[in-house]
Amino acid sequence: MTIKRFMLPLLLVAALFAVACGSDDDESAGDSEQATQATETTGSPAQGGRVKIAFSAPGADHGWMAAITENARKEAKELGDVDLIAAEGVTDSAAQADQVETLIQQKPDALVLLPNEGDALTPVAQKATAQGIPVVVVDRALEAPGASRTFITGDNYGIGWQAGNYFADQLKCKGNVVEIQGIAGIQVTEERSKGFRDALKRRCPDGGIKIIASQPADFVPDKGLSVMENILQAHKDIDAVYTHDDDMAEGVVSAIENAGREDEMFLTGAGGSKAAMERIEKGGLYRATFLYNPTMSASAIRLARLIVRGEGLAELTEPEVPSQITVPATTVTKENVAELKELGF
Amino acid sequence: MSTAPEAAAPQRSSSSRLPKNTRGAIQEYALVGVVAVILIAGAIIEPGSFLTSDNMLNVLRQASVVGVIAIGMTFVIATGGIDLSVGSMVAAASVVGGQFADSGSAMFVLGALGMGILLGSVNAGAIAYGKVVPFIATLAMFTMARGLALWISDKQPKSIFDLEFVRWFGNGEVIGIPSAAVVFVAVTIIGWLLLNRTRYGRYVVAVGGNREAARIAGINVPRIVFSVYVLAGLCVGIAAVLLSGRLSSASPIVGNLYELDAIAAVVIGGTSLAGGRATIVGTFLGVITFALIFNLLTLMDLAVEIQQVTKGLIILAAVLIQRRER
Repeated sequence: MTIKRFMLPLLLVAALFAVACGSDDDESAGDSEQATQATETTGSPAQGGRVKIAFSAPGADHGWMAAITENARKEAKELGDVDLIAAEGVTDSAAQADQVETLIQQKPDALVLLPNEGDALTPVAQKATAQGIPVVVVDRALEAPGASRTFITGDNYGIGWQAGNYFADQLKCKGNVVEIQGIAGIQVTEERSKGFRDALKRRCPDGGIKIIASQPADFVPDKGLSVMENILQAHKDIDAVYTHDDDMAEGVVSAIENAGREDEMFLTGAGGSKAAMERIEKGGLYRATFLYNPTMSASAIRLARLIVRGEGLAELTEPEVPSQITVPATTVTKENVAELKELGF
Repeated sequence: MSTAPEAAAPQRSSSSRLPKNTRGAIQEYALVGVVAVILIAGAIIEPGSFLTSDNMLNVLRQASVVGVIAIGMTFVIATGGIDLSVGSMVAAASVVGGQFADSGSAMFVLGALGMGILLGSVNAGAIAYGKVVPFIATLAMFTMARGLALWISDKQPKSIFDLEFVRWFGNGEVIGIPSAAVVFVAVTIIGWLLLNRTRYGRYVVAVGGNREAARIAGINVPRIVFSVYVLAGLCVGIAAVLLSGRLSSASPIVGNLYELDAIAAVVIGGTSLAGGRATIVGTFLGVITFALIFNLLTLMDLAVEIQQVTKGLIILAAVLIQRRER
């Protein structure tokens, strides 16, 4: 429900934006902008020359972020006609803003940006847009809608929603559930938590599934371990554990295995790490994970290339790249892990 | 020359020992009171699960990782220094151990201890001989060690499920007591002996109390300063083995904010941040206090915001009680 509520205004804004651009008395305005931009940069990307894409993401503090940068690099290489200037390694928003400024100086055809924080990176994205550099934002939304050309993201609410449905099915709407959250108070955590609760409420309205403990463990395995150890002390009857992240879940798994209670319950992760997929394949405690796929950065590179070339997505009727794309939160279980394993990071 | 420090050091400490020790003792007793209050409150609030032997051993096991680090940190702070890099260094040491995982448990332990000592020595050299302020030198190591951990591990955790011996450190037991807790207690006892019963310990405190006086008394100040950061590195290495054993994996993203946990435990225990006064028993009790608070608040399943406020209030109350009793 929330997704729909969220999507409708967005679509409206997108439509308005498209109408505003299209009805702008002379279409040549857009064209000439494209043209000046093309003459400014080397070659003419619109005619199939090389495309220069700048890429900025925060420093890889865990597997997912590492995969984001790696996927972007790999995609650029495989496309063959893309020159990628990648900048990474910063850990705070101000440093990333400076970094993006430097990237803009090099006059790229497009900018692919995973902002450390959406609101802090909005001004610099606006600056790039104002200079005619289309900005493709990955994962985290910017503050002002006009600051970027396209936004591609995963579905955090969807992760919770899928997990809730999975738990309802597996537990047949009856049992004690523990939730190990990410970092308290950030949007990712809130959405993964809300989706889960909404799905449980809708699927099991009689409240047969009880969330007996819900604690944050900051997306890191050592905290996951300690928090779960304590929860195991408090509750002697646990049927399932919903964790917000695969890396963190490793610690939760250790706590359960160390206590010798792996037959009592099952566990799910989120994200789609290689290690998690291997555990799911093996069977046992780790039953499922829900993708928050770092391939979205590869898609972002492709989208940036299409935008520079003035092309749209082949399967869509519209001639342009959409202004927002949400990558689905696919449920990975033993049944489909074999085919999805290569997406693991 | 060699008799000079011996003659001077006791003299120096005799002027500061008495107030130091009584003060330390009172502070330690105050913390015993705090621990007792938490235990009683917990037993009332969570009658079924808190004050059970199972859960108390669980708390001890959880306290062991930061606990071992805090013992090393006590020596650093006793000299008036600080080490902000211990959390990142735990990750780096774990990961280096993990690189040797295929060669067996002994190599894992050697790798982790070696990396801890190596990084500690870099801190030590920069601070003792490079004259870099400890805050800055270890802040540099804070980022560097984390970077090394991610770099060496290729950002992937390494499973060490097959290393029975390392896992025993994390999850095994010695006559019913978690082996990690046994290691923690052993390190605490060694730390206590080192600080209170050796000339080295007196020198460490003397350097923190008055560096110039210590130098004039003939103490090789840079060497003492160097040694405490190496000691901190060694403790980090031990903690890395315990943590990896508990997790059954060597992960580059562990150890986040351990420096703050360790420093807080040392200071709440009564060691002076300015140096010159240190108590190992206080540090031990400080670590236990934090572990008990974390355990009890999780058992109660309080919302995180309430937990944070509560934890802050308990810390503040504990320190205020100590100040009063002094």
